Amino acid sequence: MTDTTDAVAKSDKEVGSGMTKKEAKRIRTEGMSREEKAYIRRKALMETAWHFFRFVILFGLGFVIIYPLLYMISCAFRERSDMTDPTVMWIPRHFTLEIIKETLDAMDFWNTLKNTLILNVGCAFAQVLSCAVTGYGFARFRFKGKNLMFIIVIMMILVPPQVISLPLYTQFRHFGIGDFSVNLLDNMLAMYLPAMTGNGIRAGLMILIFRQFFKGLPKELEDAAYIDGCGPFRTFIQVMIPNAAPAFLTVFLFSVVWYWNDYYVSASFFNNTRTIALMLQNLDTELKRRLFNSATVEISAREQIVWKEAGCLLSIMPILLLYICLQKYFTEGIERSGLVG
Amino acid sequence: MTETNAEKKSAKRSCLSYEKRKSLYGYGFLGLWMIGTLIFFLIPLIKSLIWSFCEVTIDTGSASLEWVGLKNFDYALNTDPNYTEYLCDMLFETLWKTPLVVIFSLFIAAILNQKFKGRTLARAIFFLPVIIATGPVYAIINGDMGSTGNTGAAQFSTMFSTDMVGELLQFLGIYGLSNMETMISTIADNVFGIVWASGIQILLFLAALQNIPPSAKEAAQIEGATAWEYFWKIIFPNVSPFILANLIFTVIDSFTSPANTVMKRILALRDDWQFGVISSMAWIYFGIILASIGIITFIANKFIYYEVD
Repeated sequence: MTDTTDAVAKSDKEVGSGMTKKEAKRIRTEGMSREEKAYIRRKALMETAWHFFRFVILFGLGFVIIYPLLYMISCAFRERSDMTDPTVMWIPRHFTLEIIKETLDAMDFWNTLKNTLILNVGCAFAQVLSCAVTGYGFARFRFKGKNLMFIIVIMMILVPPQVISLPLYTQFRHFGIGDFSVNLLDNMLAMYLPAMTGNGIRAGLMILIFRQFFKGLPKELEDAAYIDGCGPFRTFIQVMIPNAAPAFLTVFLFSVVWYWNDYYVSASFFNNTRTIALMLQNLDTELKRRLFNSATVEISAREQIVWKEAGCLLSIMPILLLYICLQKYFTEGIERSGLVG
Repeated sequence: MTETNAEKKSAKRSCLSYEKRKSLYGYGFLGLWMIGTLIFFLIPLIKSLIWSFCEVTIDTGSASLEWVGLKNFDYALNTDPNYTEYLCDMLFETLWKTPLVVIFSLFIAAILNQKFKGRTLARAIFFLPVIIATGPVYAIINGDMGSTGNTGAAQFSTMFSTDMVGELLQFLGIYGLSNMETMISTIADNVFGIVWASGIQILLFLAALQNIPPSAKEAAQIEGATAWEYFWKIIFPNVSPFILANLIFTVIDSFTSPANTVMKRILALRDDWQFGVISSMAWIYFGIILASIGIITFIANKFIYYEVD
């Protein structure tokens, strides 16, 4: 007895007042003409086809993106002999943590990470703040020369950093006015000063994003604060910043990523400071010096990939973790981030 | 009479002063940035422009300049063995890649804007290139191991360049379309590059798509618009400003990436301390960027629909 009812419940889900799905459908389609039925059938078919197509597209292209990451993970945990073993494609035959350890050692990872956090992530913070202040100034105040300044912001986006990096280099070499000058090369200030004044890496783009965002916030917010006797600076800190949290998150993530990945600017102004991007860039020489310093050890290019992939994995790991933590805000909340004009 | 006039005047003055005060606050907000821009952007920019017309020798004290006119430009364009070649390659690549990246990212954004299971995961994956693509990691996984002094990494690129499309066409019995086939297979070979170059573009398009009012879609559905009509009549006009923004962004991105060959040539010369030549090369390059963006803006402006506020 119970068996049969179970079976019924399984085969036809009940809809509404005790009707099965089939019955409901029959009643619904009863009054329809043949063309209407055909239309509905065609539509349903098209939809299924589209869903299938969409899945294939997303899966295929997503695989293209994920592939290098998977390869990285696969390579980082295998012995180098596995690279030349034709039977090993994805799953390593000799699982080992040695390579990771050696790469950690060669990159001097923990010190490098500390350096990167102090230099790059600190700059990223400073730049978000300075760009937010500047963007707010552009969005809400009217003053002489604003249009000209905005053109300069656009110029900042367009001019490649390579155009100005050389004069900047000489400028940092003798930084100061007149006879008083200091050498800022290899000094953290060479990166912090531009970041604090809203002129760091891709600052123009960030100012633009903040400007668009603050423009989109309702003016009444500030008017209320002004009427209550709040000055513009306090209004900005106490009223506007809390409201701009999603924009701050997005821009902060961008900023951290761009600073983290930067090796051009840091390579131009630093000789000794080691950031993760620079270390990864120089991993090859570093490995040769540390691990295979006896010239007799011959390691083929193919086998060296193991260390390189391990280095890649290590250097994107922190930022990947940050992304995974923030991705909810990032992927669902773009419409609030002010990217829309 | 005079009293009211005076009153009016004082009222006007106080109003003005409020406006003035506000504009002063505006300068206050921008002050830091203005100082920074002057020191870290405008002065170096002008300096490099001057350098491009000079013979620069770096002494221990400062750079000494000697005016040589267009000699540096002449050297860059006519004498330097690699510069023009790299420049042409670069331009050609940007020319065919940019439209592909923009079309592709619009397509993906339209898909990611639909509701389906696992959408968050899909979005998270498609934004991943935003995180990785600007760094040295990308250079390594792109098979460009030359930057780390390694040439034996052909396997990375060959993994993505199997002639899938060509085989598919042959399998379907289509021969003789060699031109078409090579074109398609070039695109297929570069899927990796295109997907990885379009993270931010997808993000921007998605933001634009989310901004389309749902009522527009409803209206279109009630009127019986097909998906095709819906795309061209509703989606396209709404995202068209972003198409321009993305075109410009893609061009800039491809021009300013430190991985591109022109930049590598410039950096190589920097180690020889040929500052004048480098500056002129960088300015030729920048001029080309500006010109191409100008052309794009000019063409795209004819197709863009701006909602009138």
